[in-house]
Amino acid sequence: MKYNLELIKNKKKIIGFSTVLILFSLLGILYSTFNTSYKKPINIGMDFIGGNELRIERVCEAECSNLSPDSVFENLKEISKNKKVLNNLKLQFQNNNKLISIRTPYLSIEESNNLISNLDNILGPLNYESKDSRLIGPKLGKRLLTNCVTSLLVSLFAISLYITIRFDKKYALFALLALFHDLLIVFGIFSWLGIILAVEVNSLFAVSLLTIAGYSVNDTVVIFDRIRENLKSMKEGYNETIQLSVNESFRRTTFTSITTLIPLLSIILFGSYSLFWFSLSLSLGIIVGSYSSILLAPSLLLKD
Amino acid sequence: MKRRQGWLFFIIFLLTLSVYLLINYPLQLGLDLQGGSQLTLQISKEEGKVTKDELDAVNSVIDRRVNNLGVSESNLQTLGGDQLILELPGEQNPLVASRILGKTALLEFRTQKAGTSTDLKILQLQRLKIKEIFDQYSSSEKSQFDDNFFKIIQDDLKEVEQELNYSTTSSDLYGKLIEIKKYVDKEITNLFIKTDLSGKDLINAGRRQEQTNSNWEVLLTFSNSGGEKFAEITKSIAGTNQLLAIILDGESISEASVGNQFANTGITGGSATISGNFNAENARELEVQLKGGSLPLPIEIVETNTIGALLGSKNILKSLYAAISGLIFVGLFMIFNYRILGFVSVLSLVLYGFFNLALYSLIPVTLTLPGISGLILSIGMAVDANILIFERIREELYDGNTLTRSIDSGFQRANSSIVDGHITTLLSCFVLFLLGTNFVKGFAATLGIGVLISLFTSLNCSKTILRFFTTYQSLRQKNLFLPRNNFSN
Repeated sequence: MKYNLELIKNKKKIIGFSTVLILFSLLGILYSTFNTSYKKPINIGMDFIGGNELRIERVCEAECSNLSPDSVFENLKEISKNKKVLNNLKLQFQNNNKLISIRTPYLSIEESNNLISNLDNILGPLNYESKDSRLIGPKLGKRLLTNCVTSLLVSLFAISLYITIRFDKKYALFALLALFHDLLIVFGIFSWLGIILAVEVNSLFAVSLLTIAGYSVNDTVVIFDRIRENLKSMKEGYNETIQLSVNESFRRTTFTSITTLIPLLSIILFGSYSLFWFSLSLSLGIIVGSYSSILLAPSLLLKD
Repeated sequence: MKRRQGWLFFIIFLLTLSVYLLINYPLQLGLDLQGGSQLTLQISKEEGKVTKDELDAVNSVIDRRVNNLGVSESNLQTLGGDQLILELPGEQNPLVASRILGKTALLEFRTQKAGTSTDLKILQLQRLKIKEIFDQYSSSEKSQFDDNFFKIIQDDLKEVEQELNYSTTSSDLYGKLIEIKKYVDKEITNLFIKTDLSGKDLINAGRRQEQTNSNWEVLLTFSNSGGEKFAEITKSIAGTNQLLAIILDGESISEASVGNQFANTGITGGSATISGNFNAENARELEVQLKGGSLPLPIEIVETNTIGALLGSKNILKSLYAAISGLIFVGLFMIFNYRILGFVSVLSLVLYGFFNLALYSLIPVTLTLPGISGLILSIGMAVDANILIFERIREELYDGNTLTRSIDSGFQRANSSIVDGHITTLLSCFVLFLLGTNFVKGFAATLGIGVLISLFTSLNCSKTILRFFTTYQSLRQKNLFLPRNNFSN
């Protein structure tokens, strides 16, 4: 089973497609920066701005009674002594009214406990064993954000350094181009997700970007290695040798991506909800990363 | 062949060792898997960085307080240069811990300035009023929360403000109440002069119920020099109308007069009692704080995560499903594409799983949700090396080489690109581990360990298992290594 990807013929299409993807991402980032309520390139979540997130299940005999978030909010307003809690409170029901999820600005543990007992009065009884509560102070949030950005920059620098040492200039440049292409597109997709579905990114998103970076470079390195090896014993022209090398490593790269995507898909389907967006962004990164390693990076190497 | 057999025994030995380790040293589960609370404490310092000594000092005070609190199996560790992480497993309310830990617990003994008796009386009266308003506010029922109720409280508050000649600036009622309370506390404290007796002079603290009523009191035991200082101080104000105030974190918790009978010697015996209006709970909190000593720098609780035990066990189950289904489908994919080679990679994957978990219990690595996702993700990466090798073997077989030769050169030629390819992933893990938060570290650790172990299992274990298989004549057929239809190409 030999593969025959017509890289040389399709060079323009591939580069055009990537350009469209990049423009699409940049558009999302710009729109998100200027035209949303949060005015940030991406909808940064509680991890980075601080806040209180609570998920708790109700104990219901058969089915949980239907309550509108508005009525709960009215009730809360009535019995809450600390009005601060109620500013910017977001409340949602999930799972047939069974699961309550609430977001508020940062609260102290005491205030959060009061909120929970108020909820218990309105919606109770609540199952405290199912509680998932996160309180992050705004100071810590800022720190986490700087931390994540530093991690990203440091490891991108380390990877770039490694690539420049390992390959000669041209290869290094294109491998890095492919890497930033992948990261930008995943970032852009999450900008759009933030705009459309109000999806927030947290520290795990930064982790996924870092993992994607490592992974994407790994893929490109394997293909470039193959190209270098074949160029040494060149039987055909330069461009043809590159195309041949890509086709030779095509199976390996797609297979590896598939075997990495399978476990990620299992996490998306069966895993805990807190890992859902993390696994999704990793999956996207791996798909885009394979595309850029197989098609984009070698296309850039082709001579006109 | 002899050498390969040696490897086989070594691998079997490692597997047995792993199983032994896993049985005897169970894996440590993080709070998101077993339920519990995690508090991140931030040391705040106005100027400069927190030094190592200061960090250690804060750490030991917090440690003493947590121990005195009697929390079972708690875990305290430092993070970065200026943070502490406290883990309270199980269903333990983080509220009490947060109240006790968050306070500096700076205990001071102050004597009243002469001629301030009238001022103090006014302030004490207003303090009492504020307390009454608070009590009314927090004990009231939902049904009483109407406009009328708020109006009463607001009027009471206004009265206090007028008496004190101070107007609050907070926007909501609750904030106003807290603000005025702070103001009164500060004013009262200002009427007293510092002495050189402080919480540092204590050697013990205790609590007991008062005999006359159900209130509690806190007992202080001074060191020798502390006892002398206390005698000196009490002697200086005995019989005057100046009071002795015991001040905790800027708030006076007790003001008492010293009787004339102590004018000669002061109060000796090296102990004192504080009998403000304590109940069993806050008497205990004060006792724990005083026993632990005061914090050299104030701390702030910047993060609290609480996960119910039920949710934790659900998370374990979900992760198991994800891991097992991931393994099964990756295995099927490999067997479908690489036949016997695929089977070999499944076996090395199983070994990989055991070695990983055994190493977690040995190091030990605490398993958290992100950690598990790192492990699951590394399954894919572990197979990556196998795929590289198998593709090489396939190519060699297509070129008409013998099975043994193909296998040998397949492993040899793939070696360098495997090691190379994983370096970037390891780089990312390394940075994540150095700079990441606790949460992120788990992921970096499991992914990094996974990548390292996968180098061993996919290079060495697969080779050994494959060599073992090919000693059987019946398994040495090319069509067991390649899907049949491939030969037509």
